[in-house]
Amino acid sequence: MEKIRLDNISFAYAQQKVMIPVIREVTLSVKAGEFVTIIGPSGCGKSTILSLLAGLNTPSDGSIRIDGEAIRGTGSERGVVFQHYSLFPWMSARKNIIFGLRQLKKRKSHKELAEITDHYLSLVGLHDVGDKYPNQLSGGMQQRVAIARAFAMDSEILLMDEPFSAVDAKNKMGLQELLLNLWNSGAQKKTVVFITHDVDEAILLSDRIVIMSACTKGIKEIIPVHFKRPRNRATLIKTPEYAAMRHMLINSLFDDLIEEVAV
Amino acid sequence: MNTLCRAAKAPDTPQKWFRKIALRPQIRLADILFISAMVLASLPGQRTTAFEFRGYLMALLVLIELIHQLYRTLHKNPVKKRSAGDISAVLFLGIMAWELMTSHFDLLQHLLFPVPGKVVAVFIAELPVFAHCLVSSLGLLGAGYLLALVTAIPLALVIGWRKRLFAAVNPLTKVLGPIPPIVYIPYAIVILPTFKCASIFIIFIGAFWPIFIGTLNATFNVDQRLIDSARVLNVPERTMLFEIILPGIMPAIISGATLGLVFSFILLTAAEMIGASSGLGWYVKYFSDFADYPRVVAGILFIGCVVTAITGCFECIERRLLSWKS
Repeated sequence: MEKIRLDNISFAYAQQKVMIPVIREVTLSVKAGEFVTIIGPSGCGKSTILSLLAGLNTPSDGSIRIDGEAIRGTGSERGVVFQHYSLFPWMSARKNIIFGLRQLKKRKSHKELAEITDHYLSLVGLHDVGDKYPNQLSGGMQQRVAIARAFAMDSEILLMDEPFSAVDAKNKMGLQELLLNLWNSGAQKKTVVFITHDVDEAILLSDRIVIMSACTKGIKEIIPVHFKRPRNRATLIKTPEYAAMRHMLINSLFDDLIEEVAV
Repeated sequence: MNTLCRAAKAPDTPQKWFRKIALRPQIRLADILFISAMVLASLPGQRTTAFEFRGYLMALLVLIELIHQLYRTLHKNPVKKRSAGDISAVLFLGIMAWELMTSHFDLLQHLLFPVPGKVVAVFIAELPVFAHCLVSSLGLLGAGYLLALVTAIPLALVIGWRKRLFAAVNPLTKVLGPIPPIVYIPYAIVILPTFKCASIFIIFIGAFWPIFIGTLNATFNVDQRLIDSARVLNVPERTMLFEIILPGIMPAIISGATLGLVFSFILLTAAEMIGASSGLGWYVKYFSDFADYPRVVAGILFIGCVVTAITGCFECIERRLLSWKS
């Protein structure tokens, strides 16, 4: 069943009376419960697609539909995790989650809020540091809290804008596994749109990988990833299929760069 | 490592004790100055009338030294300990200079420059009057300043958040903001029914603009990422203003509020000097009219203590509000 549909969307911003296009005529469909990764060189507009999906900006042309209905601004059916600053620095980790929960339509008692918060904090392994401020947590821990909040708020769609790219390699692996576990464990799988520039991350996580071309040329290729879930990183990377897919992705990403240099 | 441990554990020999006490004395500059100041205070000087106040002066010196020593024993940080000593040293030097210029060498005019001991004596004797003045001044200050806080902050938040309102109001603040509030005093006294109202209005104006402008600009320039993070949680506008932007720009609000506090204190004393019949500013002005300069100096010093106490409280509040930043 189709969950998200981007129909011919374009986005441009005005700079000194000249419209600068960022993305042009992008069409994409995401099924319910699907994990889709958008990958591409910097400046290709992948983060812009996410901000349009989140409702932070409106496309200059085309439409975005969720469950067949055009979106209007932000909505509680979509949760977002940014690379930085998803958390409010003056609230403790626990208060950040409670604040998110309080914004939902469903009214909950203090006790219920505390229970949900504790549950998700322990799911991401942070129940001991719930009362610390974001500044007192490492970058990886901050992202764990942001993920815990997104899952606690239980939105149907999860939009993630390079959430792990500011985290060191070891923590990144932990976060990727955490994300997959949470995504797998829910009663109803969330639909995830995940932006990254890390090829390995894309293969490990996705059902489909959308490769963007450089310079507003839109979607270049959409590659399905058929590796069986649950995926084990250690065994997966040893398979020749993995190597082949990685090679193909890198070639596809590099093509553009070579073209750019040649031009 | 082993030898070091053994050396540290070895009992002090008499030679070591001698070296510790005699060669590296633990008496600091502040203590030397304290003793010198005490000696100076106990010696009779040129102004014979000053001699009867030496007890007060000595009491002040002992008080400073006691606070200094107490601070030293209570705090562990060596840098803070050292600066406590340095601050006391500066105080002792200042008091000694004052004592020398007046009591000992009698270089200054008797009437205008009272001896330090006399000022201390007056300070103590006038404490009940000071307390009365303080209550009256803090009433005015509190009313004007709190009024400024509760109006300037919400107003600036709303105006800074609505871009169109901001564009309309911002040029106005650029014209009205920099007007020195003192110029409103005569007019305020005329148009408002009582002196109390006029003073509160002036203090309000003085505190309002720094708080308003600080909050306004911070709201307008608030970090977009913060706004986006809140928007994706679907916060309503009220929540956005008072639960996201307000705490988000708290550092800027506090610096505006500090500036506003300084302004309002200046204006409080200025207003009191013009038309009040009580208060700290009134006290200083009233006794200058009688050429009672010991009282004037004591009053000025008391105002200094009050301002220090208020800013101290303010810093405490600031630390609490911004505890998440460290």
